[in-house]
Amino acid sequence: MRCAIVGSGLAALASYATLRHAGVPADEIAVFGTHADPTSVWRERASSIRQRRMRSESDGHLAAAGFPGLAVREGTASAVARSLTNRYHPTVDLFLEHAAGVRERSGWDASFVERRVAHVRAVDGGFLIDGEGQFAHVLIATGHPGLVHVPGAVHAYEPHDYAPQVAVIGAGMAAATEWRNARAAGSEVVSIRRREPVRRPLNVPRRYFSKRGLAGFHRLPPPARLAVLHELEQPSYPPGPEWDVDLTVADAPPPGFQVIAATGFRKGWREDAVLADLVATHDLATHDRLLDLAPDSTVPTLTDDRRTLSIAGVAARWAFPAADTIAGAKYAARAFTRRVCRTR
Amino acid sequence: MSYTLTGRIQSRLVATLPPLLVALGIHRWWAIELVALMLVFGVALDICVYDRVLDYQPGWLAVPLGLLELGLIVLAIRMPVTWSSLGLYALGWVTAQICAHALFPRLRLEYAQSGGELERIGAFVAGAVAALTLAAVAGAVAVIPPTVHLHGVVQGPLLITHAQTLVGGTVRGGVVIRADHVTLKDVTVIGGEYGVNVEHAQHVMLDRVRLIRFKMDAVRALDAGLMVHRCSISTPATPLANGVLITYSMGRPMSMVEKCRIVGVREGVTTHSSMVDVVDNDVVGTTLHGISLSEMSMDTARGNHVEGARGVAILCMDHSMCDITHNTITGALVDGNQNPSRQGVAIESYFYAEAHLRHNTVVASPGGVKALDLGVFTE
Repeated sequence: MRCAIVGSGLAALASYATLRHAGVPADEIAVFGTHADPTSVWRERASSIRQRRMRSESDGHLAAAGFPGLAVREGTASAVARSLTNRYHPTVDLFLEHAAGVRERSGWDASFVERRVAHVRAVDGGFLIDGEGQFAHVLIATGHPGLVHVPGAVHAYEPHDYAPQVAVIGAGMAAATEWRNARAAGSEVVSIRRREPVRRPLNVPRRYFSKRGLAGFHRLPPPARLAVLHELEQPSYPPGPEWDVDLTVADAPPPGFQVIAATGFRKGWREDAVLADLVATHDLATHDRLLDLAPDSTVPTLTDDRRTLSIAGVAARWAFPAADTIAGAKYAARAFTRRVCRTR
Repeated sequence: MSYTLTGRIQSRLVATLPPLLVALGIHRWWAIELVALMLVFGVALDICVYDRVLDYQPGWLAVPLGLLELGLIVLAIRMPVTWSSLGLYALGWVTAQICAHALFPRLRLEYAQSGGELERIGAFVAGAVAALTLAAVAGAVAVIPPTVHLHGVVQGPLLITHAQTLVGGTVRGGVVIRADHVTLKDVTVIGGEYGVNVEHAQHVMLDRVRLIRFKMDAVRALDAGLMVHRCSISTPATPLANGVLITYSMGRPMSMVEKCRIVGVREGVTTHSSMVDVVDNDVVGTTLHGISLSEMSMDTARGNHVEGARGVAILCMDHSMCDITHNTITGALVDGNQNPSRQGVAIESYFYAEAHLRHNTVVASPGGVKALDLGVFTE
């Protein structure tokens, strides 16, 4: 086998679908992960915050090609018109239904190996993945390392109900969703936040999704790039009256309030066992909590004409600021696929 | 989508391929010119405006930008807005949308994240489209009929057998045109059996031609398609000479006689078995018919002013179908007392002809409006 994907979430499925679209046979790809269903982890989180619509737009799906997008697949003129005006956000149900189709059509299950990978080791001409043998090209898409828990609080991404009085810690997309949910449930809502959220449609400004913005981003020296990424980490949620919720802002949860931590995920390569081991073993360059990556999301010192080590998902923000989105997963997947196909 | 400048230009060039092929296929200069202008204006706007102003371009913006580019082309070159030109422009616009939203993202997965750039094959096609457009324009310019400026008086008859444009000057003895795509502009023709005789030719244009002292017809067209625009016809050499005669031209593109002034001839404008628009002419003092639409013709007479016609001002006859609207007929004259069809009739439908009348004005014409010998009027 030539290719391995470490991880079995949405980024892994997007990468797998892209490889298959490019003509790489299923028996040349191994997917190592803990969940046969690539949507299961994400589905549970979306269900916990009662998310009904995606923040992403029509092309926020897991198939390799952008067209047809989910607006076209929805099949209504209204959806297409909303997509043209950037007001279309597919339902979670449609996204998951489509993801299931991608999984089935791509042959994901034939390549899936249930295994929690602990080590990826570079060797001459490839990589060893635990005891599974050598692979010339490896893409690591292990996803978010875990949730940031607050003592005494239920995390937004864990199943929960709403008390009559709710304090939500955080100010990002999950927090905004929780404000709406709690208000809809008739609760009094208090927001606990460190920073004022930014109102923007997508996780990062649109220019960072394409070469127009990325070319300048990649030219930045490391300190400036870190500053940009730090700035982009500021919590945000979309503009629009549907997101405007009547709530009180406080410094700490009032006594007697149910506390919901919409505090997101642990961040950085140190929190990810596979990446931490990789950095330690091969002395990889890092910038604060971020791995140093080439613009095509590969690890420069472990990638050459015969082998590729790519990072997809949140750990690839050094290459793509919106790496933890579906667009980010595809960005890494396409570059990875290009390298795989070039060396066939 | 956030285009890079290279992406914008490559995408535009490649998406222009279908309209360019259509333009080359229909082999019309206006189409090639339009496609070339679409590219020139588009690329200029890409470089000077869009790339600087539009960091991100939502899908809906393609509509106003498309209208803006069309407006600029129309204004800049005074392009006639015809259904054909609009159709070709629309084809280019729709193709661009299909390419940008469906085809390119399908064929090149990184299309959107690359800012519309199309890699090597796309760059090659874009270059090919640009080169093909340039070649088409150059080729079309190379075969544009030559323009000949006439100076002074040329002794005719002048026989024209190749596409060309004659401008100015005076020709004695008439002009014979036996080639397509011939234009006479600002030419004065004196004498000749026929002033201008067009035979077996089409796309002939007579623009501001002045004709005098012709013996039979000022303009005679046989099996021809021509446009006679702003002509002046007067002072015939004989009392039997006619103004414009278009005859047996049903198999040719439609002809048109427009904004001419025709004075003192036997018949001002005459058609036989042809399709002709006779529009906005002044026909004065004819001795047989002002405007005669005859012999199974399918014609329009609209907005003409026929004054002092002896016998009949506007005649639709012999199985012809005529649309006669918005004409003004004044002072049609009675011609003897034997023939009832020539009693100063303003508009006459004669012998199985069918004339559709609407909004005509008849003044001081004693014969009024008449249908004779099974001719009919419809409204």
